[in-house]
Amino acid sequence: MIVRMSKIEIVGPKDLLQDVLNVLSSLGIFQIEPSSAGISEKGQEEDLRSFSLDEKTLFERLFLEDLREKIEKLFSFLPRIPVRKSYLDPQSILGTLAYTVEKHLSACKSLEERKRILRRELAELKRYSGFLFTLEALFKDAKAAPDLDVIGLTIKDPGAIEHIEVLLSRLTGGKFKLFTIPVENGALGGLITIEKTLSEKVSRALSSEQIPEMPFPESFDLLSLTGKISFIQQRSSAINAEIEGIERERQKICTRWWPIYTTVYAWINGRLALLNATASVFQTRMCFFIHGWMSTEDVAGLKRRMASSFGPLVVIEEKEMLQKDLDRVPVMLKNPSYFRPFELFVRLLPLPSYTSLDPTPFIAIFFPVFFGMILGDAGYGLILLVMSLILRKRFAAKKTLRDGAQILLISSVYTIFFGILYGEFFGDLPQRLLGIEPLCVERRTAIIPMLYFTLTVGVLHVLFGLFLGIVTAFKKRTKKKALFKFLSILLIFCMIIILASFFDVFPAVISQPVIIAILLLSPLLLFAGGLLAPLELLKSVGNIISYVRIMAIGLTSVLLAFMANHIAGLTGNIVIGIVVAGMLHLLNIILGVFSPTIHALRLHYVEFFSKFLEHGGKEFHPLRKGDDEGTGSI
Amino acid sequence: MGMEKVLIALCAALAIGLTAIATAWAQSRIGAAGAGALAEKPELSGTIVILVAIPETMVILGFVIASMILFGGK
Repeated sequence: MIVRMSKIEIVGPKDLLQDVLNVLSSLGIFQIEPSSAGISEKGQEEDLRSFSLDEKTLFERLFLEDLREKIEKLFSFLPRIPVRKSYLDPQSILGTLAYTVEKHLSACKSLEERKRILRRELAELKRYSGFLFTLEALFKDAKAAPDLDVIGLTIKDPGAIEHIEVLLSRLTGGKFKLFTIPVENGALGGLITIEKTLSEKVSRALSSEQIPEMPFPESFDLLSLTGKISFIQQRSSAINAEIEGIERERQKICTRWWPIYTTVYAWINGRLALLNATASVFQTRMCFFIHGWMSTEDVAGLKRRMASSFGPLVVIEEKEMLQKDLDRVPVMLKNPSYFRPFELFVRLLPLPSYTSLDPTPFIAIFFPVFFGMILGDAGYGLILLVMSLILRKRFAAKKTLRDGAQILLISSVYTIFFGILYGEFFGDLPQRLLGIEPLCVERRTAIIPMLYFTLTVGVLHVLFGLFLGIVTAFKKRTKKKALFKFLSILLIFCMIIILASFFDVFPAVISQPVIIAILLLSPLLLFAGGLLAPLELLKSVGNIISYVRIMAIGLTSVLLAFMANHIAGLTGNIVIGIVVAGMLHLLNIILGVFSPTIHALRLHYVEFFSKFLEHGGKEFHPLRKGDDEGTGSI
Repeated sequence: MGMEKVLIALCAALAIGLTAIATAWAQSRIGAAGAGALAEKPELSGTIVILVAIPETMVILGFVIASMILFGGK
């Protein structure tokens, strides 16, 4: 449900402002409204002005913001490793940390820079070594004569070889040898052996023809090919050792200082949140005014707390909630523990407006039922039940996953229930092995009865949605809208009666007065809903038919399970049969988690919620000490 | 009688087949656009699910018609 909120004004002497804000942030139940328009009384608005910080507080804020920025920068340089917790008082070490953070930042920056240079060198060496290793075999032949020189080439286009050969032939009078071998990225590694006297001439020609020569660093010049390779290996291991040393150094800083910086970072965030909140406070010459919202049930507690802390100096007044305020009231959802996990689905959409209804209880009731009706297999339900219990235990600390596991747990119970009604346990196994007939209906063959059943579910669900629409319209005092929803319910009833008489459920004679009733109600519907009202009504009929998906998706699931058992039977071997059936059932279970979830959600989001829900609520964000604290936000 | 059965089956196949193609086409367009929108604004996931799910009604209606053609509604 949407928690009832109160519009609150807190007034007190200016020198108590920081203490009052401290109390509010420690309680975490009050959201400050940054604008006074519509909250402060008429005539009073001109006297109120925004609270401006004094010079000392302003300096403190700038200092803290600067320190926070530096700590964030430092965090970005440090590795994420598990560290101890610090119990130092953050306020007492702020001055020291403002000095050490500079030192650590500079040390981390230079370590990072050194690491970057080393990594670049390592990448270069890797490139050379790849080339040299590839050409080593060729070079063994090439270096037979001592007066020969070798030139390495990277040939990106293999078609260029002919052109190079023509060029070399012209320059050397045919006294050359060109070896090629494929290297990385589809290019060719080339090795030219020529007389030493021609080497420079050839190099110049290659360069003018824009054929990239493989350049080696100057330190390689005096080394033979084998020497070059062993030099690369030695240098690479030295670089790796140095990088490891840098990492060790960073970890050392992290182990020693991370806990301290984290604690201080959290404290700074809390303090800055408080100082920022001060900017939303208003003042007169002597008093401060804090306007905001809080849950009605917490008002008495806050009054008691303020009275005990400040006596009669600070006054809390609950102001009257006006019609124009309704769009500004923040929304807080509060549900019993059974419904709470389903807020996960509600929060996928924008929040409901304050005057609307919280759809969580409805989705918590209907979603597992629809899920169970679609999947409807006791065997699959049992597997999902076990899976959800494991997930819930494993991810107990992660709220979203824990909520998801809880939803799966509830849905799996309904899956088992409907599985018993449909007589399904891994498809038609009970019938196939033990001859047990379904308790209620066999989905595989009873297509038309299931179709009618799901249509009935659709009628009930959509009509319930329309009824909730009437409630919401009354809450918002829009009577015309309420009348439109009511007429829609009546007309849907009339249409159902006509259809039922067409299918001989009711006597045909009943349809005549119902048609007259429809004709009489239609002008009223146009009056209440406007020209688009008939279209809206048709949309509702379409929404009802959409519930047939419960049966359609369920049918695909049961047929896949049936085929799994059938194919397993055809193998004629018990082991192969079990493996085949197991794999197909596993596939069906995976589909059986996603498909019913998506379709049951869609039935709620599109068909059900559209009848009563109004989005556009703003989430309740109370002033809280813990806001933005901890490493999570880094 | 045999030809009648063939025609009934063909009509049912057309009812579900054409609506399935229409749904697939609509979902492909909405899905592609939705994926793009999600990359920019992940908070729109709920709205995108709704938008992708809307054309499914076509194939469900086709399925209802096909079932009625095959098994008779009356």
